[in-house]
This record gives sequence, structure tokens and C-alpha cells, in this order.
Amino acid sequence: MYRWPRQCSRTIGVPVRLNFAGVFAACLLAVLWLPTPPEVSAADKLIVYSGRSERLIKPVLDAFTAKTGIQVDLLSSGTTELVNRLKAEGGRSPADVFISNDAGSLEMARTAGLLRPLNMPEVEQAIPPQFRAADNSWIGLSGRFWIIVCNTTMVTPDQITSLLDLADPRWKDKIAIPNAGSEYLQAGVSVIRASLGDDQTKRFLEGLRNNAGTHVYQKSSQIVEAVAKGQVSVGVVNHYYVYRHLAVQPTAPLGVMMPDQQAGGMGAIMNVAGIGILKHTSRFDAAKLLVEFLVAEVGQKMFADLDKEYPLHPEVKADSSLVERKRFRTASVPLTKLAELREPTLLLIEQVGMR
Amino acid sequence: MIAVRRLSVSSLQLAVLASTALILLPLGYVTALALSADSTIWHRLWTTRVPELLLNTVSLAGAVALLALVLGVSTAWMVTRFEFPGRRLWEVALVLPLAMPTYVLAYVYNYLLGYGGPVEHLWQMVTGPQSRILSPQSFWGVTIVMTLDTFPFVYLLTRSALLSFNVSFEEVARTCGASQLRTMLHVTLPLLRPSIVAGVALVVLYVVSDFGAVSLLRYQTLTYAVFQQMTGRSDNQAASILSILLVVLALLFLLTERWFRRKSRFYQTTGRYRAPQRIQCEWWHATALTACLATVTGLAFGIPVYLLAMWSLSSEAQAILDARFFGFIWNSALLSSLAATAAVLGGLPLAYLASRKPTWLNLGCLQAAYAGYVLPGPVAALAVLVLFLNVMPFLYGTVIVLIVAYVLHFLPAGLQSLEPSIQQITPNLEEAARTLGLGVRETWRRVTLPLIRNGMIVAWVLIFLQTMKELPATLLLRPVGFDTLAIRVWLEASEEYYQLAAPSALLIVLVGLPALSLLLSRDWRAA
Repeated sequence: MYRWPRQCSRTIGVPVRLNFAGVFAACLLAVLWLPTPPEVSAADKLIVYSGRSERLIKPVLDAFTAKTGIQVDLLSSGTTELVNRLKAEGGRSPADVFISNDAGSLEMARTAGLLRPLNMPEVEQAIPPQFRAADNSWIGLSGRFWIIVCNTTMVTPDQITSLLDLADPRWKDKIAIPNAGSEYLQAGVSVIRASLGDDQTKRFLEGLRNNAGTHVYQKSSQIVEAVAKGQVSVGVVNHYYVYRHLAVQPTAPLGVMMPDQQAGGMGAIMNVAGIGILKHTSRFDAAKLLVEFLVAEVGQKMFADLDKEYPLHPEVKADSSLVERKRFRTASVPLTKLAELREPTLLLIEQVGMR
Repeated sequence: MIAVRRLSVSSLQLAVLASTALILLPLGYVTALALSADSTIWHRLWTTRVPELLLNTVSLAGAVALLALVLGVSTAWMVTRFEFPGRRLWEVALVLPLAMPTYVLAYVYNYLLGYGGPVEHLWQMVTGPQSRILSPQSFWGVTIVMTLDTFPFVYLLTRSALLSFNVSFEEVARTCGASQLRTMLHVTLPLLRPSIVAGVALVVLYVVSDFGAVSLLRYQTLTYAVFQQMTGRSDNQAASILSILLVVLALLFLLTERWFRRKSRFYQTTGRYRAPQRIQCEWWHATALTACLATVTGLAFGIPVYLLAMWSLSSEAQAILDARFFGFIWNSALLSSLAATAAVLGGLPLAYLASRKPTWLNLGCLQAAYAGYVLPGPVAALAVLVLFLNVMPFLYGTVIVLIVAYVLHFLPAGLQSLEPSIQQITPNLEEAARTLGLGVRETWRRVTLPLIRNGMIVAWVLIFLQTMKELPATLLLRPVGFDTLAIRVWLEASEEYYQLAAPSALLIVLVGLPALSLLLSRDWRAA
């Protein structure tokens, strides 16, 4: 009868000392404190949500910190995911600045009332108006073009003149494309729809879907990789992915085709990476300093060069490895329309059954 | 005294009800969101994505289950029925793949089997430059990666069943003239069936809810599609519809599995029990067995770990081992230990009340807690996100949101080991303590807790490990600047920066190892 309690009494010590509840409470306190480090210098800090991949934005932000002493906390994630998150967070969002790799997403954030219009002479001077929101709620920082990348050992440049050629059955299983969630794809298809109408776009997408088969990628860098290795002959990506690959592997057999430049063609599809300041930020001045830094010539050069994009500042030259900006034409659909075009575009993409 | 007792019991009851509500709310929310969706969204999904996704998910789960069954049972058989040099080593080694997250294995195989990768190079040296090997980014590629990672579930359960197997059944069959093969097919395997089915069930649930491997290998399953819908579109209704399909699929499967197990109960009616004798192997037999086992563990653990170690030693990887990297380690450790502690604390009252006071309410609460099993990571994250924003907005953006999502998702795994450990101690002990004058609290502290300590530790370790590896919920809910090791692996690996992902991946694996040794020693029953 008395054996059990006695035996237990030998083991009591450990669990009592563990005292889970106490430990947990202590941890909780630690956690509550953790995400908001002591606000000794609230003004000297910025929280940036960025849809641009971390390695392409961090050096610029580090340069900004070095120049101004303002610390930057960075959350890198998918662009659409961040817009969703900002919408859900609303006025409670900790973010001060939103950097996006897609004008459509910036415009969506603007129409959702998340962004605060900017009135800065620096911006007016540096960035041409077609690359900004009407009320300067967001500002484009660098230009990016949807191009066709090809493996030069498998394809010669005269085989393709237009994106629409890629729907031709002879490219069956030879094309790599981004997945349906990609903002580039959505923006690109929006421009095609606006230029050519729904029916033609739908036929194009069906062809593209059939030709791509299972070569549907989450990341554009994977598409370039697949083309470089000769796994597929051509791919549709933003231009800089190709130059970034070539910067690391200069001998890769990669060629860039600027599509739809033929007479009467719609022109290359352009998008911008840009920035917006969130309406509810309490650090508006610091955020303005960041914008100022990024639109100035030094910032423009750094921001664009890191990702091999085209600077929007007219005085700043693009990386010398890129196709010269003067040598190709751009589709005439305004960037500000990308947001309203997006929902019907998504519907079309899904109707076609792209992944 | 009576007043005290009532008070404490009812507060326990309250805790149980609260945690059950917490667990059921997300499921309810997702269901409501899906049902309130416009019929055009349903129609659009049914006509475009759903057939492909269902087919992909079900066929992947089926193929992996089948292969894991074969691999798990045969390896368990080898190490329990034969005696050969190195047997003990292999017995342990076969569990090691459990420390390897599926996405790590996926990214290693993406490199190894990938287009122009080392294996293809070797193959082309033998068969000519044009020949191709199986792509890892295909149905069979995903199947192999998943099988290599999940077969230990089957192995572990089958092994422990085989170890406690009464060999007299087989002997009776043999003396009645049945051949060795016939005995195995008609006596041994049916007797093992409950354990094998339980193992396969774990495999299937794992595969169906996996996000990391399928996203890295670009194979479209429901879970992956849910994540894509959530991150690629600006409304979550389509995501919730796909989630509901997933939940229904998992429920259907769980019910089938219950039914299977109900039909196969075997009882030992006499007290006569003999453990099986291991067969001594000839040298050639031993060599063959060793070769088999070495291949399996090499593919599932040895080669990947070797590669990760090599990559981690490269100069690119060394360059990222700075203060920031140690921050990621700290984040992972902090999150995992908090989640494990919270889940054990939350699970304890549930398991306790269900076994001490098995009213329909308490049993119902326990069953409801298992809802987390069928709620895949991105879905749990979605629900938690919305709930917090609407109910407790001031907590949003803190680590607490993440922890709630983890607890929701992993509590069932903890309950799997808490429940039996509580059931094993008879209430008499507590009653005896009470009659000897201890209060309720004292009884808990001095009798119950010490006795269930092992169960609690195992539950804690399990949840710690799972949280360490968790990906989709962390991706969607992490606070600003709060990356974990798992996030780093995924971010770097999805851009094919193999070297940069390696240190984080290797650390996740290494942290898992001591915990595995703990699990190996007991009859292990949790995902």
C-alpha cells in the first residue's frame, strides 16, 4: 500500500523544478518583448516589406543605413502575399514602406487605400510621370522587360519574333514558363489582353500551356537555369534573370530576344519595381528619406544594377551588358492600368487551366 | 476540501473547452469561408484545377504508401528476424531519415538527379551523352523522395510489432504443414496488419499535407495549390475551397483506416508466449542483407548528409555563418521550444480528462483536438491569421500567432504519446494519494506528473522537432525579421543556391538526431 507514494517521492524533484507553467510564462514575456525591441530610437528605424528577393535589395538598404544611420528591418516575401498581408493588417501594420517588383501590386495597394501620396520635388525630377501613380502614391524605381530567353545552341534568333509565336505547336515541350501565381505572368498577360483582346489571348495561353507541359516554375531563375542547361529551348522571363545568370556563368549559351518589335507589333512588355509609403506609418520622414535615396542618381544606379534592371532616372545609364534601352520599343499599356486588368486576367489564366 | 476539488476540476474542464474551441475555430472558419464562396468560384475550380489536383494528390499518396510499405516491412523483417554482424547499427540507422525534412531531401535530390547533375553525368559516361535519367521533378521523382523520407514510420511500427510477436502462431502453422511462404502470407503478415496499417496511415497523412518537397520539386498537390492560391491571388476563398477538399480527403482516409483496424483485432488467449529466435546468417547472406540496408540508409540519409556537410564546408556557405545566421538558430530554437511547451501544457488537461472522466464532452474534445491532423500547414496559417486579426489584433505580428498555429497543427502528435502515458497509470494511485491526505494539486504534483513524465518528454520532443521543420505556416505568419532555419533552407534552395541552404539544413538534421534516439527506445506512435 505504501510503496507507491514512497517510490514516487524519489522522482518528485525533477518535474517540480521544471515547473512548466513558470517557464512558459517567462518565455511568453520574453516573446511579447522580443518582436518590438526597445524603442530607444523609433525614428531611426524603418520596417520594409519587400517583394524583391532579399539578396537584391539588402545591399541597397544597407547602403541607406550607412548613409543615414536609419536601421532597416526587412521582411522579404512574395509580392502578392505581401499585399494580402498588408490588406489584412490594415492600420495595424507594422510596415512603413512597401517595395514591390510589380506596378500592378503597387496600384492594388493604392486602390486599397494603403498608401500615402508623396509630394516631393526629388521624385518629380528623377522619375518620369508614366512610371508613377497619378497621385504619387507609388513610385517606379527600375524597369524590367518580359523577354524570351533561348539556348543559343538550340534556337536561332530568327525563329521567334513575337511572344505569340510560343503558342505554336512546334515548341511543344520546349518552353519553360512561370506559374499562374507569378506577378510577371499576370502583368504580361494583362498587357497582351489589353493589346489584342480576350479571344486571341486565350488561344495564346492555351498554346503556351500545352507547350510548357510540366515546365512550369515558381522562380524565374529556375527557368533560366533550365534553358542554360538545355532542358528546354526557350523560356519566358524578365530580362535581368538572364543577365544575372550570365554574370555568374559568362559562358552559358543564353540569348535574349526582345519580342514583338516587328512593324505593327505590340512592343516589349514593361513593368517596374517600385516603392510606396504606407498610410499609417509613424515614421513618414524616415520613409521619405529612403525614397529620396532610391530616386537619386546613386541610389538609382545601385538599385537597378544589383538586379540588372533599367534605371528610370533619365540621367542614369543601365548596366553596359544590357540591350540598349533606345533600341527597342515598349507596349503602350499604361502601368497604372495593370491593377484593374489583373482580376479578369487571373480569371482567364485559370479558365485556360494554367497551373 | 470538496470546494477546492470542484474548483480545480471545473477550471481544468474550462481549459479543455477553451483549447478545443481554439482548435475547432480555424476548421470552422475555413469551412465557412469555403461554403460562403460564390458558386462560380466552385465551378471554376472544379472545371480547371480540382481534377488534376485530386488525381495528383491521391496517386502520390498511394504510390508512396505502397513503396513505404514494402520498404518499411522488409527492412523491419531483416533486422528482427536475422542475426548478422552490424545488425544493431542498421536497426538504428533505419530511423535516421526521420530527422531529414522532406524538403531537404528534395533539394538534395534535385541536385543529384537534376538535369546535368552528377548522377546523370555518370550515367551518360556509361550509356552515351544523349541518355537521360529519371527527373526528380516528376511523379516518380517525388514518389521516391517521399518514400525515402517516410518509410521509417512503417519500419518503426512494424519492427516493434515484430519484436513483441508471439512466434507460436507461426510454429503452429508450420507443424500443420504450411510452407514458409504460406505461413508468412497467411499468419505473420495478417497479425502484423494493425501496426503496418497504422504506419502507412502516418505516411499517407504526411504526404498529403507536405508542402516543402512538392514545392521544390514542382509537383502539384492540393496542399501546394492551397499555398499558391494564398500567395498568388488576392482572395482566400479559392484557397479555402481547396483546403476543404483536402480536409475531406484526409477524413475519408482516416475513417477507412479506422475501419481497417477494427476488422483486425487479435488476442492472445493463453499465457504461452515466446519471442522469435533470430536466424543466424551465412556470410553471403549477411553480405546481401548489409548491401540492401546500406543502400536504403545511404540513399535516405548517408548521401544527403554527406552532401550537406560538403556544401556547408564550402567558402560560400562559410561566408553566411555570421551573427545573422546565429539569429536564425536562436529563432528556430525559441519557437520550437515555446510551441512544444504550449502544446504539452494544452494537451495535458485534454488527455487527462478524457481518460479520468470519459464523459461524451471530454471524449469529444479529445477527438476534436485531432482535427489539427487533417488541417494542412497553409490552411492552419490562413485560419490563425484571420482569427487573430479579428479577435486579438494587438497580438498580430508577434511570435504568439506563430505558436498558436504550431500548437494547432502539432497538438495531435503530442496527444499520441500523452494519452497512452496517462492511461497507463491507474486512478487507484491518485485515489490512494488522496486518502493519505494529499490535496488535488499535491496529488498531481507528487503522483501523477512524475508518472507521466516520460510521456510528456516524448510529446515535447516530437513537437519540438516538427516545429523545427515546419515551413508553410512559418512562411505566412512570421513577424518581420524573424526567419527560421527552415525558412532559410526553403528560400535558398528554391533559387538553387545549394551551398547557401546547406548549413541550415544540416543543423535541422543534427538537432533531430538526439531526439530520435529517445524515440527509438519505445513503441513509437506519433507523426
